[in-house]
Amino acid sequence: MMEKKGSEKWAKAVPGLLALSFLGLLLVTGREARSVEGLDNFDHQGKKLYEAGEATPEIYLSADSGDRNLASFYELRQYPGSPPRIPHKVDLSFSGNETDCLSCHAKGGYSPEFGKFVPVTPHPENSLCYQCHVPLTEEKPFVASDWQSIEPPRLGRSFLSSSPPTVPHSLQLRENCIACHTGPGAVAEIRVAHASRGNCRQCHVPAVQTDELREFQRK
Amino acid sequence: MTITIDRRRFIQSAAAGSAIAAAGAIFPGISFGAWPKVAGNTGVVSWQKTPCRFCGTGCGVLVGVVDGRAVAVKGDPNCSVNKGLCCMKGYHSVQALYGTDRITTAKIRKNGEMVEVPIQEALDLVAAKLKETRDKHGKDSVAIYGSGQWTIPDGYVASKLFKGCLSTNNVEANARLCMASAVTGFMTSFGIDEPMGCYEDIDHANVFITWGNNMAEMHPVLFSRMLANRKRRTNVKIIDFATRLTRTSQAADTSILFRPQTDLAVANAICHEIIANDWVNWNFVNEHVSFHKGKTNIGYGTEDHFAFTDQDEAISFEEYKKFLADYTPERVEKISGVPAKDIKYMAALYGDPALKVTSFWCMGMNQHTRGTWINNLVYNIHLLVGKISTPGNSPFSLTGQPSACGTVREVGTLTHGLPHGVVMNEHDRQMAAEIWEVPVANIDPKPTYHTVEMFRALDRGDIKFIWIQVTNPMVTMPNLKRYREGAKKDDRFIVVSDVYPTPTTDVADVILPSAFWIEKEGMFGNSERRTQHFAEIVKPPGEAMSDTWQIIEVARRLGFEKQFPWSKEDYIEKIWEEYRKFHAGPKHEMASYQVLRARSGVQWPFVNGKETRWRFNPQYDPACTNGKDFDFYGKKDNRAWIWARPYEPAAESPDSEYPFWLNTGRVIEHWHTGSLTRRIPVLHNAVPSGYVEMHPEDAAQLGVVNGEKVRIISRRGEIVMPAQINGRGVPPRNMVFVPFFDESYLINEVTLDAFCPISKQPDYKKCAVRLEKA
Repeated sequence: MMEKKGSEKWAKAVPGLLALSFLGLLLVTGREARSVEGLDNFDHQGKKLYEAGEATPEIYLSADSGDRNLASFYELRQYPGSPPRIPHKVDLSFSGNETDCLSCHAKGGYSPEFGKFVPVTPHPENSLCYQCHVPLTEEKPFVASDWQSIEPPRLGRSFLSSSPPTVPHSLQLRENCIACHTGPGAVAEIRVAHASRGNCRQCHVPAVQTDELREFQRK
Repeated sequence: MTITIDRRRFIQSAAAGSAIAAAGAIFPGISFGAWPKVAGNTGVVSWQKTPCRFCGTGCGVLVGVVDGRAVAVKGDPNCSVNKGLCCMKGYHSVQALYGTDRITTAKIRKNGEMVEVPIQEALDLVAAKLKETRDKHGKDSVAIYGSGQWTIPDGYVASKLFKGCLSTNNVEANARLCMASAVTGFMTSFGIDEPMGCYEDIDHANVFITWGNNMAEMHPVLFSRMLANRKRRTNVKIIDFATRLTRTSQAADTSILFRPQTDLAVANAICHEIIANDWVNWNFVNEHVSFHKGKTNIGYGTEDHFAFTDQDEAISFEEYKKFLADYTPERVEKISGVPAKDIKYMAALYGDPALKVTSFWCMGMNQHTRGTWINNLVYNIHLLVGKISTPGNSPFSLTGQPSACGTVREVGTLTHGLPHGVVMNEHDRQMAAEIWEVPVANIDPKPTYHTVEMFRALDRGDIKFIWIQVTNPMVTMPNLKRYREGAKKDDRFIVVSDVYPTPTTDVADVILPSAFWIEKEGMFGNSERRTQHFAEIVKPPGEAMSDTWQIIEVARRLGFEKQFPWSKEDYIEKIWEEYRKFHAGPKHEMASYQVLRARSGVQWPFVNGKETRWRFNPQYDPACTNGKDFDFYGKKDNRAWIWARPYEPAAESPDSEYPFWLNTGRVIEHWHTGSLTRRIPVLHNAVPSGYVEMHPEDAAQLGVVNGEKVRIISRRGEIVMPAQINGRGVPPRNMVFVPFFDESYLINEVTLDAFCPISKQPDYKKCAVRLEKA
């Protein structure tokens, strides 16, 4: 616990260039911690990302949706990073299998039914959609909640004045950047204009400011 | 109790409320959850590991903490159980800490009213009342009833206090309602509890057969691992074998429906086919299997003081084959409604030597008046073809609670159990007495009451004092009305330790505020023999105290300081190291406290720093010593036992007066009685209330449409609830299904308290009802 609090303070205190070296440290230690068993499924090389970029039709990289923004993005989530609610009606027999959700959310595109461009799932390999995503059928709570969320990550945090901003969120289940950051279903504020470059992590490094797993030590 | 919200928070939530109203106008039917944010937070979160609080899968989760509050969850990528993926309950689990009606102070009943008192005063009263009852009515008039949600230390101190110090075997847990048949299944077939395989089997099997098991909703993380395997590899199939169509059926390659209770006949027919086609793995059977039969016509336990002891008799393979002669696929088709060709299809999958087969089951087979038998019968299939204890070949019994295995089965918090072995065994009693530092005479060699009989004893007055921790029997007991009325009787004293008000706290004389999950340190044990440690990650609210410490406080008041000497700083570590002594040796060696703290779960047997993934297989299991390719060391003959167990009908089947089967169960959004998940806004708002699922033609015949009220009537009671037609599950004609999570629709007032005579686990899946339009 002591160590955690200390480094948290430390992370808040270091500005500018110092932060860059701290980040470097994080990445080095982070990499070491990640060479453990169980992380082998992670796509360190970004192959999946690259291929997804290749497979994205050109039109999705440039069209515009106009109505999905960060406010509505976070309003569907209990905390930044939580699985979003399903913001539209689903059939009572909602099965969540590939012929339902993924028929729209795998590739996106315009949905005449909803009159909108459809957001694309960042993890199409997971096809049991209802494992995490639920519709809303009742607005009243069972009892009130004292839940408090946290601020979402800040945008545009570059460490040098013109350097590419870092990735401010965990890539777990969000390895496919273009799903949220490009195309007509993308969130307006975080849509990028240069998605055709494909390999996002060539320039943008994950720099999630967390005290990762410091409370206990891994073997 | 009144709720105080500070002014600033109130203004924030009021503002959020109006934002919701505005958003609702733009997107009808959509509510936006604009939650207040932790003040001054910069987005820097510290992550700490814990097992998930909910089902027995035991997913590793990382809880994000800011300023002493849990604010986020992600899957723990270092945990091999879930490899970074959770389900909706895991992702939102931390919201269950923050319902505004948390119990934060102790309450005692004074003149019929519950009044708040300091927790020390309440603990004084609990100890005094326990002592007084014991002195007046004898040692077996007091009881403790816990659950598979108890942490391992919770269950351990409960057993030590009641069995070791107070000399009563009145220790039970709600895992009796959930896992008892799995235990007796393992004990009778293998002589040692818990699965031989592990979740890694999913990455090797070619065929998955789910036996009465809606895994897509109840064990979604494991189910999606199956789906991912099916996508990634060729030659992977999922066969859903069930009594109603569910989301699992939708995702399965084949769905085969059987009439309730006839799984017994179908399992025997599969064995019949395997033998008829000579798909038997003779090398395996000759070396590693022996054949047995037990008593038949064994009853249903619906009467008080019901007693049953099975008696095994060795038989030959020829006798077993003769027993199976009744179970030809064609004959079983008539009993079960399963076409003979489907039975042959399943037999062929089990029988094909080129296919690795994993069977999964949970409550469908365990909550069964012949639960032990059906567990035996599925093991029979795997044993005949030798598909066991090797990667991908696994008869796998899933669990429903986070520590049903860890606490109830391994610590032995059932009336006959001890942390090692059973009270009936002198050697086991001696071991316990030695480690507990109590005279061996303290431990009574005679088991007392299993759960149903314990609540019957409470109703009769044989038990006068009961302490209920971490569970909600006033929702979950079958034939509930009797047990609620019993608990409310005048000279019964009910202590309930919980985190939220429930129908069980409603009948309490003392309510103790408990620390919840990550508000205290502890360990859980999941379905695949994995022990998982979690630290105290956030502080418990108010005077809330861990269940372990509550028991320690009471034990000390009763004069057992010597047995409960630990300090608040390190009691979990000390208890773990004491408990671990019970399991020393290669069959059940547990990891040290330090190792558990460091890792995202450790599988036992943990021998020389290595986890055991497949038991009974010398390539993986250091306890194998016979020099052969398998060693079933649980049984004295070093063999796994195949049992001749017949088909016998359910305790109550539909008739002309009560023509429908009533089947009860769960939905993915809610866990157990919903006292936690209903306080998680996303989950409650997705499935806000209970309902009765009906076949569309039955609904049409009754004249009800979706949402209209139906009265469900059994010989025990009745209930009125809304109908759901063509929803996520569709029962066959003449069956209705009701999830039990909703305390405003107590379906257990309708169910029957019949149980498996061997395991004493009730059958919540089968009783007879009639329906009326309400």
